[in-house]
Amino acid sequence: MKNVIKKASLLTSIMLLFAFTSNAQINKKKKANKDTENWRYEIECVGIGKPGTKVIKVWSYSKKATIAINQAKKNAVHGIIFQGYAGGAQGCTNQRPLTNDPALEQQKEEFFEDFFKDNGKYMKFVSTSGDGTPTTMKVGKEYKIGVVVTVMVDLLRKDLEAAGIIKGLSSGF
Amino acid sequence: MKKILLVCSIILATISTTFGQAKKPTIMVVPSDNWCIKNGYFMEFDNQGTKIKIPDYKKALQEDSDVLLVISAINNMMNERGFPLKNLESVLKTLESNAAEDNMMTSKDSGSDIDETPMDKLKQVAKADIIMQITWTVNTTGPKKSVTFILQGLDAYTDKQIAGAQGTGAPSFTAETPVLLQEAVTAHIDNFNASLQAHFEDMFENGREVIVKIQKWSDSEFDLESEVNGDELSYVIEDWIAANTVKNRFSVLDVTENMMTFEQVRMPLYNDKGRALDTRGFARELSKYLADLGVPNKVVVKGLGRATIILGGK
Repeated sequence: MKNVIKKASLLTSIMLLFAFTSNAQINKKKKANKDTENWRYEIECVGIGKPGTKVIKVWSYSKKATIAINQAKKNAVHGIIFQGYAGGAQGCTNQRPLTNDPALEQQKEEFFEDFFKDNGKYMKFVSTSGDGTPTTMKVGKEYKIGVVVTVMVDLLRKDLEAAGIIKGLSSGF
Repeated sequence: MKKILLVCSIILATISTTFGQAKKPTIMVVPSDNWCIKNGYFMEFDNQGTKIKIPDYKKALQEDSDVLLVISAINNMMNERGFPLKNLESVLKTLESNAAEDNMMTSKDSGSDIDETPMDKLKQVAKADIIMQITWTVNTTGPKKSVTFILQGLDAYTDKQIAGAQGTGAPSFTAETPVLLQEAVTAHIDNFNASLQAHFEDMFENGREVIVKIQKWSDSEFDLESEVNGDELSYVIEDWIAANTVKNRFSVLDVTENMMTFEQVRMPLYNDKGRALDTRGFARELSKYLADLGVPNKVVVKGLGRATIILGGK
């Protein structure tokens, strides 16, 4: 009888532990998505990439360093579509966003929700660059994490043009 | 039911094809006068005591590999964006071969050659609706090299810069000039295209910006101060332009009794029938209106964006 009780309590604790960890994972992801939904990030140019690509450093904010790294790719693609970035060193020039319409994200909300979902289509257009080692800075109670990524801007633009989200150079002619 | 659907889809397809396609401007990459003259690719003429330098594109293309590289890189990138460009070298060769063919051509019946006025000859030059003008300078500081690159999109008719991108690349100790140039094109072409796109969007919203000029033959019985339809002819023409431009947008640059220039004329991209309209079509409507009022005239066109109506006859 004692053995049964022991086994039952062991099993319960394992299950509880599992439940807690998976719950924590879900919470982390939720938190990460919340941070991403607010689009709290900064982009800086790192250098001139191959034709059709941009090499950028994305600074994302989160209380957990690992979460910020995971969200960097999403932020990078979002930044290229909606924000662009300023020029600087390494021959970087100002980069305008792919759309001039600031209301586009709201107008095509359904498309972008699907596009930016976890492991969504945005993943096709971005990859970590170099050794992928992030730069970590502590800002107040949270971390500011910088990750260098390469965004395939030409492919991204073509995809958005084909989906009718942005206009191509020759559309209307 | 099937027949109705078929008819509907044919009508829709017709509407979408007639309304969907505005006249597409042609674009060509050309080295700037500044670059050509700095690098010795120019011809010099004496114009009544004033020396005039004109860029020699043929010589530049034959003797400078960098200019070929830059033009080719830009052409490739624009092609990838679905907007193929006219190639300067091919245009120059076509002009030469066309001129040779025209010289040799004779009529089988009468043996007469091709009729060509001095104006026809003058118009046979390399041209496009939008000129992408490139200029670059290689900067050297000790062993370091960098490239300052300027890309300008110029409307051939309004003389306005409609797009542009410029900047200096990162200095390098090792990279060769062609590599730096390729890098400069890659760095700037997206920004250039973004401003070109903004120009096209403005054109679709507010009409194509063109220039309409009114002149008169020296023996014309009409000038712009003649009374026509109860008003001075210049005001009659101005009223027509106001009524036929998008949002009545135009400005009058000059008016005398002999000539009148309308600038920033925003002509619609399509006519009443839904057909794509260019300046020739737009000026033809004005020409017909004037002819109906008893003013004979002739229309002379320069590409998509400039038309001249000459009063007094053909």
